[in-house]
Amino acid sequence: MPYQAEISRENPTCILFVIDQSGSMDEITETGRSKAAFVADVLNKTLYTLVTTCSKADGVRNYFDVGVIAYGGSEVVSGFGGALSEGIVHPIQAISEHTLRIEERHKKVDDGAGGIIELKTKFPIWFEPKSTGGTPMRAALGKTMEMVAGWCETHPGSYPPTILHVTDGQSTDGAPEDVAGGLRQVATKDGETLLFNLHVTTAGGLEILFPTSETDLRDEYSRMLFRMSSPLPAHLAKFAGDKGYAVANGSRGFIFNGDPQCVVDFFEIGTRPKLVADR
Amino acid sequence: MQPKAPLGLAFSIPKGEDWRNEDSFHRSAKGVYALSDGASVSFDSASWARILVRRYTRNPVFTPEWLAAAIAEFRKLHDRDTLPWMKQASFDKGSFASLLGIRFLERGRLIQVLSIGDSLAVLCDGDCIKATFPYSVASEFNRAPRLLCTNQAENVFLDGVDVGYDLVADWSFSGLEQPALLCMTDALGQWLLSQRDRDASPISELRRVKTPAAFARFVQVERAAGRMKRDDTTLLALW
Repeated sequence: MPYQAEISRENPTCILFVIDQSGSMDEITETGRSKAAFVADVLNKTLYTLVTTCSKADGVRNYFDVGVIAYGGSEVVSGFGGALSEGIVHPIQAISEHTLRIEERHKKVDDGAGGIIELKTKFPIWFEPKSTGGTPMRAALGKTMEMVAGWCETHPGSYPPTILHVTDGQSTDGAPEDVAGGLRQVATKDGETLLFNLHVTTAGGLEILFPTSETDLRDEYSRMLFRMSSPLPAHLAKFAGDKGYAVANGSRGFIFNGDPQCVVDFFEIGTRPKLVADR
Repeated sequence: MQPKAPLGLAFSIPKGEDWRNEDSFHRSAKGVYALSDGASVSFDSASWARILVRRYTRNPVFTPEWLAAAIAEFRKLHDRDTLPWMKQASFDKGSFASLLGIRFLERGRLIQVLSIGDSLAVLCDGDCIKATFPYSVASEFNRAPRLLCTNQAENVFLDGVDVGYDLVADWSFSGLEQPALLCMTDALGQWLLSQRDRDASPISELRRVKTPAAFARFVQVERAAGRMKRDDTTLLALW
Protein backbone atom coordinates (compact mmCIF):
# COMPACT_ATOMS: atom_id res chain seq x y z
CA MET A 1 0.00 0.00 0.00
CA PRO A 2 1.49 3.38 -0.99
CA TYR A 3 1.50 6.51 1.18
CA GLN A 4 1.94 4.57 4.42
CA ALA A 5 5.53 5.56 5.29
CA GLU A 6 5.94 7.05 8.73
CA ILE A 7 7.17 10.62 8.64
CA SER A 8 9.90 11.22 11.17
CA ARG A 9 13.21 13.02 11.55
CA GLU A 10 14.95 9.99 10.06
CA ASN A 11 12.47 9.85 7.19
CA PRO A 12 11.15 13.35 6.46
CA THR A 13 8.88 14.12 3.55
CA CYS A 14 9.08 16.95 1.02
CA ILE A 15 6.46 19.59 0.35
CA LEU A 16 6.91 21.93 -2.60
CA PHE A 17 4.69 24.89 -3.36
CA VAL A 18 4.71 25.99 -7.01
CA ILE A 19 3.22 29.46 -7.30
CA ASP A 20 2.16 31.32 -10.44
CA GLN A 21 3.33 34.96 -10.24
CA SER A 22 2.29 36.00 -13.76
CA GLY A 23 0.76 39.43 -14.44
CA SER A 24 -2.84 38.25 -14.21
CA MET A 25 -2.35 37.33 -10.55
CA ASP A 26 -2.86 41.05 -9.78
CA GLU A 27 -6.62 40.75 -10.40
CA ILE A 28 -8.68 41.60 -7.36
CA THR A 29 -10.61 38.76 -5.70
CA GLU A 30 -13.77 38.84 -3.59
CA THR A 31 -11.55 39.26 -0.53
CA GLY A 32 -10.67 42.73 -1.84
CA ARG A 33 -7.06 41.75 -2.36
CA SER A 34 -5.24 40.59 -5.45
CA LYS A 35 -5.01 36.89 -6.18
CA ALA A 36 -1.25 37.14 -5.61
CA ALA A 37 -1.66 38.81 -2.20
CA PHE A 38 -4.29 36.34 -1.09
CA VAL A 39 -2.24 33.31 -2.17
CA ALA A 40 0.85 34.77 -0.46
CA ASP A 41 -1.09 35.18 2.77
CA VAL A 42 -2.37 31.60 2.67
CA LEU A 43 1.10 30.30 1.85
CA ASN A 44 2.67 32.18 4.77
CA LYS A 45 -0.01 30.81 7.08
CA THR A 46 0.62 27.29 5.76
CA LEU A 47 4.36 27.59 6.36
CA TYR A 48 3.62 28.93 9.85
CA THR A 49 1.42 25.90 10.56
CA LEU A 50 4.02 23.46 9.24
CA VAL A 51 6.76 24.98 11.40
CA THR A 52 4.47 25.06 14.43
CA THR A 53 3.62 21.38 13.94
CA CYS A 54 7.34 20.57 14.11
CA SER A 55 8.15 22.86 17.05
CA LYS A 56 8.71 21.51 20.52
CA ALA A 57 10.09 23.07 23.66
CA ASP A 58 13.55 21.78 22.76
CA GLY A 59 13.58 22.92 19.13
CA VAL A 60 12.19 22.40 15.64
CA ARG A 61 12.18 18.82 14.36
CA ASN A 62 12.93 18.23 10.71
CA TYR A 63 9.86 16.27 9.69
CA PHE A 64 9.61 18.23 6.41
CA ASP A 65 11.81 19.56 3.66
CA VAL A 66 9.99 22.53 2.18
CA GLY A 67 10.42 24.61 -0.95
CA VAL A 68 8.65 27.32 -2.89
CA ILE A 69 9.09 27.67 -6.66
CA ALA A 70 7.75 30.94 -8.06
CA TYR A 71 7.24 31.55 -11.75
CA GLY A 72 6.29 34.60 -13.76
CA GLY A 73 7.62 36.57 -16.74
CA SER A 74 10.63 34.61 -17.90
CA GLU A 75 11.70 33.51 -14.42
CA VAL A 76 11.47 30.29 -12.44
CA VAL A 77 13.09 31.01 -9.07
CA SER A 78 12.97 30.21 -5.39
CA GLY A 79 9.97 31.91 -3.82
CA PHE A 80 11.94 32.50 -0.65
CA GLY A 81 14.00 35.61 -0.02
CA GLY A 82 17.13 36.25 2.02
CA ALA A 83 19.25 33.29 3.08
CA LEU A 84 16.69 30.81 1.77
CA SER A 85 16.83 32.15 -1.80
CA GLU A 86 20.07 30.27 -2.44
CA GLY A 87 18.34 26.90 -2.83
CA ILE A 88 14.83 25.64 -3.45
CA VAL A 89 14.24 22.98 -0.79
CA HIS A 90 15.21 23.51 2.86
CA PRO A 91 14.72 21.58 6.11
CA ILE A 92 11.82 23.02 8.10
CA GLN A 93 14.23 24.11 10.83
CA ALA A 94 16.02 26.41 8.36
CA ILE A 95 12.65 27.76 7.22
CA SER A 96 11.82 28.60 10.84
CA GLU A 97 15.06 30.49 11.31
CA HIS A 98 15.04 32.59 8.14
CA THR A 99 11.94 34.71 7.81
CA LEU A 100 11.74 37.96 5.87
CA ARG A 101 10.22 39.63 8.91
CA ILE A 102 8.03 38.96 11.92
CA GLU A 103 4.75 40.88 12.19
CA GLU A 104 2.84 41.33 15.42
CA ARG A 105 -0.79 40.28 15.21
CA HIS A 106 -3.62 39.81 17.68
CA LYS A 107 -5.87 36.81 18.05
CA LYS A 108 -8.83 36.08 20.27
CA VAL A 109 -8.67 32.89 22.29
CA ASP A 110 -10.71 31.03 24.89
CA ASP A 111 -9.47 31.98 28.38
CA GLY A 112 -10.55 28.63 29.79
CA ALA A 113 -13.15 30.20 32.03
CA GLY A 114 -15.87 30.92 29.53
CA GLY A 115 -14.40 34.17 28.30
CA ILE A 116 -12.35 35.42 25.38
CA ILE A 117 -9.03 37.18 25.68
CA GLU A 118 -6.87 38.83 23.05
CA LEU A 119 -3.33 37.51 22.69
CA LYS A 120 -0.43 39.19 20.97
CA THR A 121 1.20 36.75 18.57
CA LYS A 122 4.21 36.87 16.31
CA PHE A 123 3.44 36.10 12.67
CA PRO A 124 6.35 35.37 10.32
CA ILE A 125 6.45 36.34 6.66
CA TRP A 126 8.49 34.38 4.11
CA PHE A 127 6.74 34.99 0.83
CA GLU A 128 5.80 38.32 -0.77
CA PRO A 129 3.12 38.71 -3.46
CA LYS A 130 4.38 39.48 -6.95
CA SER A 131 2.73 39.47 -10.39
CA THR A 132 4.43 40.14 -13.67
CA GLY A 133 4.63 38.94 -17.29
CA GLY A 134 3.81 35.55 -18.74
CA THR A 135 3.20 32.11 -17.27
CA PRO A 136 6.18 29.77 -17.79
CA MET A 137 4.38 26.81 -16.25
CA ARG A 138 6.15 24.18 -18.30
CA ALA A 139 9.55 25.43 -17.16
CA ALA A 140 8.33 25.66 -13.56
CA LEU A 141 7.07 22.08 -13.51
CA GLY A 142 10.30 20.98 -15.22
CA LYS A 143 12.28 22.66 -12.43
CA THR A 144 10.00 21.01 -9.89
CA MET A 145 10.62 17.59 -11.43
CA GLU A 146 14.36 18.18 -11.26
CA MET A 147 14.16 19.07 -7.55
CA VAL A 148 11.84 16.19 -6.70
CA ALA A 149 13.93 13.61 -8.57
CA GLY A 150 17.02 14.64 -6.61
CA TRP A 151 15.11 14.55 -3.35
CA CYS A 152 13.63 11.08 -3.99
CA GLU A 153 17.04 9.73 -4.84
CA THR A 154 18.34 10.70 -1.41
CA HIS A 155 15.14 9.71 0.46
CA PRO A 156 14.10 6.39 -1.11
CA GLY A 157 12.18 5.17 1.96
CA SER A 158 10.29 8.37 2.69
CA TYR A 159 6.66 9.35 2.14
CA PRO A 160 6.82 10.79 -1.38
CA PRO A 161 6.88 14.53 -2.16
CA THR A 162 3.69 16.56 -2.32
CA ILE A 163 3.47 19.40 -4.86
CA LEU A 164 0.85 22.12 -4.39
CA HIS A 165 0.59 24.09 -7.62
CA VAL A 166 -1.40 27.32 -7.67
CA THR A 167 -2.15 29.02 -11.00
CA ASP A 168 -4.72 31.29 -12.60
CA GLY A 169 -3.72 31.16 -16.19
CA GLN A 170 -2.73 29.38 -19.31
CA SER A 171 0.85 28.30 -19.72
CA THR A 172 2.77 30.62 -22.07
CA ASP A 173 5.76 28.35 -22.67
CA GLY A 174 4.00 25.28 -24.03
CA ALA A 175 1.61 22.62 -22.76
CA PRO A 176 2.78 21.31 -19.38
CA GLU A 177 0.76 18.08 -19.27
CA ASP A 178 3.57 15.75 -20.27
CA VAL A 179 5.96 17.36 -17.77
CA ALA A 180 3.32 16.98 -15.05
CA GLY A 181 2.94 13.32 -16.02
CA GLY A 182 6.66 12.81 -15.68
CA LEU A 183 6.69 14.63 -12.36
CA ARG A 184 3.96 12.36 -10.96
CA GLN A 185 6.00 9.31 -11.93
CA VAL A 186 8.97 10.34 -9.80
CA ALA A 187 8.62 8.07 -6.78
CA THR A 188 10.00 6.76 -3.54
CA LYS A 189 9.39 3.19 -2.40
CA ASP A 190 6.27 4.53 -0.68
CA GLY A 191 4.58 5.87 -3.81
CA GLU A 192 4.58 8.39 -6.61
CA THR A 193 4.89 12.13 -6.17
CA LEU A 194 1.55 13.76 -5.44
CA LEU A 195 0.68 16.75 -7.65
CA PHE A 196 -2.32 18.80 -6.58
CA ASN A 197 -3.52 21.77 -8.63
CA LEU A 198 -5.48 24.83 -7.56
CA HIS A 199 -6.96 26.92 -10.36
CA VAL A 200 -7.80 30.35 -8.96
CA THR A 201 -10.08 32.56 -11.02
CA THR A 202 -12.08 35.75 -10.63
CA ALA A 203 -14.55 34.68 -13.31
CA GLY A 204 -17.27 33.59 -10.88
CA GLY A 205 -19.60 30.71 -11.68
CA LEU A 206 -19.48 27.13 -10.59
CA GLU A 207 -16.79 25.92 -8.20
CA ILE A 208 -15.54 22.40 -8.76
CA LEU A 209 -13.89 20.72 -5.79
CA PHE A 210 -11.94 17.46 -5.82
CA PRO A 211 -13.76 16.11 -8.92
CA THR A 212 -13.58 12.53 -10.13
CA SER A 213 -13.90 13.44 -13.81
CA GLU A 214 -13.38 16.39 -16.13
CA THR A 215 -16.98 16.34 -17.36
CA ASP A 216 -18.09 19.50 -15.54
CA LEU A 217 -15.02 21.53 -16.41
CA ARG A 218 -15.81 24.00 -19.17
CA ASP A 219 -12.51 24.93 -20.75
CA GLU A 220 -9.74 22.75 -22.07
CA TYR A 221 -7.21 24.40 -19.74
CA SER A 222 -9.09 23.39 -16.57
CA ARG A 223 -9.58 19.92 -17.96
CA MET A 224 -5.85 19.68 -18.51
CA LEU A 225 -5.14 20.77 -14.91
CA PHE A 226 -7.56 18.07 -13.75
CA ARG A 227 -5.70 15.45 -15.77
CA MET A 228 -2.43 16.74 -14.33
CA SER A 229 -3.68 16.15 -10.76
CA SER A 230 -3.05 13.05 -8.64
CA PRO A 231 -5.90 11.11 -7.05
CA LEU A 232 -6.17 11.87 -3.34
CA PRO A 233 -4.65 9.07 -1.22
CA ALA A 234 -7.11 7.55 1.26
CA HIS A 235 -5.93 9.48 4.33
CA LEU A 236 -6.11 12.85 2.53
CA ALA A 237 -9.50 11.96 1.04
CA LYS A 238 -10.71 11.19 4.56
CA PHE A 239 -9.35 14.48 5.85
CA ALA A 240 -11.08 16.36 3.00
CA GLY A 241 -14.28 14.46 3.78
CA ASP A 242 -13.97 15.38 7.45
CA LYS A 243 -13.77 19.03 6.38
CA GLY A 244 -17.09 18.66 4.60
CA TYR A 245 -16.02 18.10 1.01
CA ALA A 246 -17.92 15.54 -1.06
CA VAL A 247 -14.98 13.30 -1.84
CA ALA A 248 -15.51 10.08 -3.79
CA ASN A 249 -13.29 7.20 -4.77
CA GLY A 250 -11.02 8.62 -7.48
CA SER A 251 -11.33 12.27 -6.45
CA ARG A 252 -8.38 14.23 -7.74
CA GLY A 253 -6.40 16.83 -5.82
CA PHE A 254 -7.83 19.63 -7.95
CA ILE A 255 -9.95 22.69 -7.18
CA PHE A 256 -11.37 25.04 -9.79
CA ASN A 257 -12.75 28.45 -8.88
CA GLY A 258 -12.88 27.70 -5.15
CA ASP A 259 -13.90 30.40 -2.70
CA PRO A 260 -11.28 31.75 -0.27
CA GLN A 261 -12.04 29.07 2.30
CA CYS A 262 -11.50 26.39 -0.36
CA VAL A 263 -8.09 27.87 -1.10
CA VAL A 264 -7.19 27.72 2.60
CA ASP A 265 -8.50 24.14 2.82
CA PHE A 266 -6.59 23.11 -0.32
CA PHE A 267 -3.34 24.07 1.38
CA GLU A 268 -4.34 22.44 4.65
CA ILE A 269 -5.43 19.15 3.07
CA GLY A 270 -2.37 18.98 0.83
CA THR A 271 0.06 19.50 3.69
CA ARG A 272 -1.45 16.85 5.93
CA PRO A 273 0.62 13.72 5.41
CA LYS A 274 0.60 11.43 8.43
CA LEU A 275 3.29 12.08 11.00
CA VAL A 276 4.74 9.10 12.77
CA ALA A 277 3.95 10.71 16.05
CA ASP A 278 0.66 12.23 15.00
CA ARG A 279 -1.67 12.22 17.91
CA MET B 1 -8.71 -7.53 47.84
CA GLN B 2 -5.89 -4.99 47.95
CA PRO B 3 -3.01 -5.71 45.58
CA LYS B 4 -0.14 -7.05 47.61
CA ALA B 5 2.63 -5.37 45.67
CA PRO B 6 2.25 -1.63 46.06
CA LEU B 7 3.68 -0.87 42.65
CA GLY B 8 4.13 -4.21 41.01
CA LEU B 9 6.33 -3.86 38.00
CA ALA B 10 6.80 -0.76 35.89
CA PHE B 11 8.80 -0.53 32.68
CA SER B 12 9.11 2.18 30.09
CA ILE B 13 11.28 2.64 27.04
CA PRO B 14 11.39 5.46 24.46
CA LYS B 15 10.63 5.04 20.79
CA GLY B 16 14.32 5.18 19.92
CA GLU B 17 17.71 5.29 21.58
CA ASP B 18 18.23 9.04 21.29
CA TRP B 19 14.63 10.00 21.89
CA ARG B 20 13.17 11.53 24.99
CA ASN B 21 10.57 9.29 26.58
CA GLU B 22 7.34 11.27 26.79
CA ASP B 23 5.40 8.64 28.75
CA SER B 24 5.07 9.18 32.49
CA PHE B 25 3.80 7.08 35.37
CA HIS B 26 3.44 7.60 39.11
CA ARG B 27 1.84 6.07 42.15
CA SER B 28 0.91 7.33 45.58
CA ALA B 29 1.45 5.67 48.93
CA LYS B 30 -2.33 5.23 49.10
CA GLY B 31 -2.29 2.97 46.05
CA VAL B 32 -3.39 5.38 43.36
CA TYR B 33 -1.70 4.75 40.01
CA ALA B 34 -1.48 6.96 36.95
CA LEU B 35 -0.04 6.62 33.49
CA SER B 36 0.16 9.25 30.77
CA ASP B 37 1.36 9.19 27.17
CA GLY B 38 2.54 12.58 25.92
CA ALA B 39 1.87 13.14 22.21
CA SER B 40 5.14 13.68 20.40
CA VAL B 41 3.78 16.25 17.97
CA SER B 42 3.13 18.90 20.56
CA PHE B 43 5.12 21.50 22.46
CA ASP B 44 6.13 19.91 25.77
CA SER B 45 4.07 16.79 26.21
CA ALA B 46 6.62 15.13 28.51
CA SER B 47 6.15 17.83 31.15
CA TRP B 48 2.39 17.78 30.65
CA ALA B 49 2.26 14.01 31.10
CA ARG B 50 4.36 14.28 34.26
CA ILE B 51 2.07 16.94 35.74
CA LEU B 52 -1.03 14.86 34.98
CA VAL B 53 0.20 11.68 36.68
CA ARG B 54 1.56 13.44 39.75
CA ARG B 55 -1.62 15.43 40.22
CA TYR B 56 -3.84 12.42 39.69
CA THR B 57 -2.06 10.31 42.26
CA ARG B 58 -2.34 13.18 44.78
CA ASN B 59 -5.98 13.89 43.97
CA PRO B 60 -7.76 11.28 41.86
CA VAL B 61 -11.01 13.19 41.43
CA PHE B 62 -11.03 14.45 37.88
CA THR B 63 -13.09 17.63 37.48
CA PRO B 64 -12.91 20.77 35.28
CA GLU B 65 -11.22 22.53 38.21
CA TRP B 66 -8.67 19.72 38.50
CA LEU B 67 -7.82 20.13 34.83
CA ALA B 68 -7.64 23.93 35.05
CA ALA B 69 -5.19 23.66 37.96
CA ALA B 70 -3.02 21.22 36.02
CA ILE B 71 -2.97 23.60 33.04
CA ALA B 72 -2.03 26.49 35.33
CA GLU B 73 0.90 24.47 36.68
CA PHE B 74 2.06 23.67 33.15
CA ARG B 75 1.86 27.30 32.01
CA LYS B 76 4.23 28.32 34.80
CA LEU B 77 6.95 26.19 33.20
CA HIS B 78 7.29 28.47 30.18
CA ASP B 79 7.39 32.25 29.79
CA ARG B 80 5.19 32.56 26.71
CA ASP B 81 6.03 36.17 25.92
CA THR B 82 9.76 35.54 25.68
CA LEU B 83 9.52 32.43 23.52
CA PRO B 84 10.67 32.69 19.89
CA TRP B 85 7.74 32.83 17.47
CA MET B 86 7.72 29.14 16.52
CA LYS B 87 7.80 27.95 20.13
CA GLN B 88 5.21 30.51 21.14
CA ALA B 89 2.91 29.27 18.36
CA SER B 90 3.46 25.66 19.41
CA PHE B 91 2.92 26.57 23.08
CA ASP B 92 -0.37 28.28 22.15
CA LYS B 93 -1.48 25.27 20.13
CA GLY B 94 -1.01 23.16 23.23
CA SER B 95 0.62 20.03 24.56
CA PHE B 96 -1.39 16.80 24.51
CA ALA B 97 -1.35 13.67 26.66
CA SER B 98 -3.52 10.75 27.69
CA LEU B 99 -4.41 10.02 31.31
CA LEU B 100 -5.07 6.57 32.72
CA GLY B 101 -5.77 6.53 36.45
CA ILE B 102 -6.40 3.60 38.75
CA ARG B 103 -7.68 3.78 42.29
CA PHE B 104 -8.93 1.18 44.71
CA LEU B 105 -12.14 2.00 46.56
CA GLU B 106 -14.23 0.29 49.23
CA ARG B 107 -11.20 -1.23 50.93
CA GLY B 108 -9.88 -2.54 47.66
CA ARG B 109 -13.08 -4.28 46.58
CA LEU B 110 -13.70 -1.84 43.74
CA ILE B 111 -11.16 -0.78 41.13
CA GLN B 112 -12.00 2.48 39.44
CA VAL B 113 -10.33 3.10 36.09
CA LEU B 114 -10.34 6.58 34.57
CA SER B 115 -9.21 6.74 30.97
CA ILE B 116 -8.91 9.80 28.76
CA GLY B 117 -7.18 9.03 25.48
CA ASP B 118 -5.69 5.80 24.22
CA SER B 119 -3.80 4.30 27.16
CA LEU B 120 -5.26 0.91 28.03
CA ALA B 121 -6.20 -0.81 31.28
CA VAL B 122 -6.53 -4.60 31.31
CA LEU B 123 -8.11 -6.80 33.96
CA CYS B 124 -6.82 -10.38 33.94
CA ASP B 125 -7.45 -13.66 35.68
CA GLY B 126 -4.32 -15.70 35.20
CA ASP B 127 -3.58 -15.49 31.48
CA CYS B 128 -7.18 -14.75 30.61
CA ILE B 129 -8.24 -11.20 29.72
CA LYS B 130 -11.45 -10.43 31.58
CA ALA B 131 -11.91 -6.77 30.58
CA THR B 132 -10.13 -3.93 28.80
CA PHE B 133 -10.80 -0.20 28.91
CA PRO B 134 -11.28 2.12 27.03
CA TYR B 135 -10.77 -0.01 23.92
CA SER B 136 -11.67 -3.62 23.26
CA VAL B 137 -10.38 -4.18 19.71
CA ALA B 138 -7.00 -3.29 18.23
CA SER B 139 -8.43 -1.26 15.33
CA GLU B 140 -9.73 1.35 17.78
CA PHE B 141 -6.14 2.52 18.19
CA ASN B 142 -6.15 3.69 14.57
CA ARG B 143 -8.55 6.52 15.39
CA ALA B 144 -7.24 9.88 16.57
CA PRO B 145 -7.69 9.79 20.36
CA ARG B 146 -9.09 12.68 22.35
CA LEU B 147 -6.32 13.80 24.67
CA LEU B 148 -6.02 16.29 27.51
CA CYS B 149 -4.49 19.54 26.31
CA THR B 150 -2.83 22.55 27.89
CA ASN B 151 -4.94 24.69 25.53
CA GLN B 152 -8.42 24.71 27.07
CA ALA B 153 -10.06 25.16 23.68
CA GLU B 154 -8.90 21.64 22.79
CA ASN B 155 -10.63 20.17 25.85
CA VAL B 156 -14.15 21.10 24.77
CA PHE B 157 -14.84 17.44 24.05
CA LEU B 158 -15.07 17.00 27.83
CA ASP B 159 -18.15 19.26 27.85
CA GLY B 160 -20.03 16.58 25.98
CA VAL B 161 -19.11 13.62 28.17
CA ASP B 162 -20.23 12.40 31.55
CA VAL B 163 -16.87 11.82 33.22
CA GLY B 164 -18.21 9.31 35.74
CA TYR B 165 -19.97 7.27 33.08
CA ASP B 166 -18.14 7.73 29.76
CA LEU B 167 -14.56 7.85 31.03
CA VAL B 168 -14.68 5.50 33.98
CA ALA B 169 -14.89 1.71 34.28
CA ASP B 170 -15.59 0.01 37.61
CA TRP B 171 -13.95 -3.37 38.00
CA SER B 172 -13.42 -5.78 40.84
CA PHE B 173 -10.99 -8.57 41.69
CA SER B 174 -13.82 -10.48 43.37
CA GLY B 175 -14.26 -13.97 42.01
CA LEU B 176 -10.95 -13.96 40.18
CA GLU B 177 -8.49 -16.68 41.11
CA GLN B 178 -5.31 -14.99 39.90
CA PRO B 179 -6.30 -11.35 39.53
CA ALA B 180 -3.98 -8.89 37.87
CA LEU B 181 -4.28 -5.38 36.55
CA LEU B 182 -2.17 -3.98 33.70
CA CYS B 183 -1.87 -0.42 32.45
CA MET B 184 -0.10 0.36 29.21
CA THR B 185 0.41 3.04 26.60
CA ASP B 186 -1.01 2.69 23.11
CA ALA B 187 1.71 0.76 21.26
CA LEU B 188 1.61 -2.05 23.82
CA GLY B 189 -2.17 -1.83 24.13
CA GLN B 190 -2.62 -2.25 20.39
CA TRP B 191 -0.16 -5.16 20.42
CA LEU B 192 -2.03 -6.85 23.25
CA LEU B 193 -5.46 -6.54 21.65
CA SER B 194 -4.15 -7.68 18.28
CA GLN B 195 -2.56 -10.75 19.93
CA ARG B 196 -5.33 -11.63 22.40
CA ASP B 197 -6.70 -14.57 20.42
CA ARG B 198 -3.37 -16.34 19.94
CA ASP B 199 -2.84 -19.76 21.46
CA ALA B 200 0.03 -18.41 23.53
CA SER B 201 -1.68 -15.69 25.54
CA PRO B 202 -0.09 -12.24 25.29
CA ILE B 203 -0.62 -12.01 29.05
CA SER B 204 1.67 -14.97 29.66
CA GLU B 205 4.24 -13.29 27.45
CA LEU B 206 4.06 -10.10 29.54
CA ARG B 207 4.13 -12.12 32.74
CA ARG B 208 7.54 -13.48 31.78
CA VAL B 209 8.97 -9.95 31.63
CA LYS B 210 10.49 -9.24 35.02
CA THR B 211 13.28 -6.75 34.43
CA PRO B 212 13.76 -3.52 32.43
CA ALA B 213 16.24 -5.30 30.15
CA ALA B 214 13.76 -8.10 29.46
CA PHE B 215 11.06 -5.53 28.71
CA ALA B 216 13.38 -3.69 26.30
CA ARG B 217 14.22 -6.98 24.55
CA PHE B 218 10.56 -7.96 24.30
CA VAL B 219 9.60 -4.59 22.79
CA GLN B 220 12.52 -4.65 20.35
CA VAL B 221 11.59 -8.12 19.12
CA GLU B 222 7.95 -7.16 18.60
CA ARG B 223 8.89 -3.91 16.85
CA ALA B 224 11.32 -5.72 14.58
CA ALA B 225 8.65 -8.28 13.70
CA GLY B 226 6.30 -5.43 12.78
CA ARG B 227 3.81 -6.46 15.45
CA MET B 228 4.30 -3.40 17.63
CA LYS B 229 4.30 0.28 16.64
CA ARG B 230 7.55 2.14 17.27
CA ASP B 231 6.51 4.51 20.02
CA ASP B 232 7.30 5.21 23.66
CA THR B 233 6.11 2.06 25.41
CA THR B 234 5.18 1.71 29.07
CA LEU B 235 3.76 -1.11 31.17
CA LEU B 236 2.51 -0.97 34.76
CA ALA B 237 1.74 -4.45 36.01
CA LEU B 238 -0.01 -5.24 39.28
CA TRP B 239 0.37 -9.01 39.15
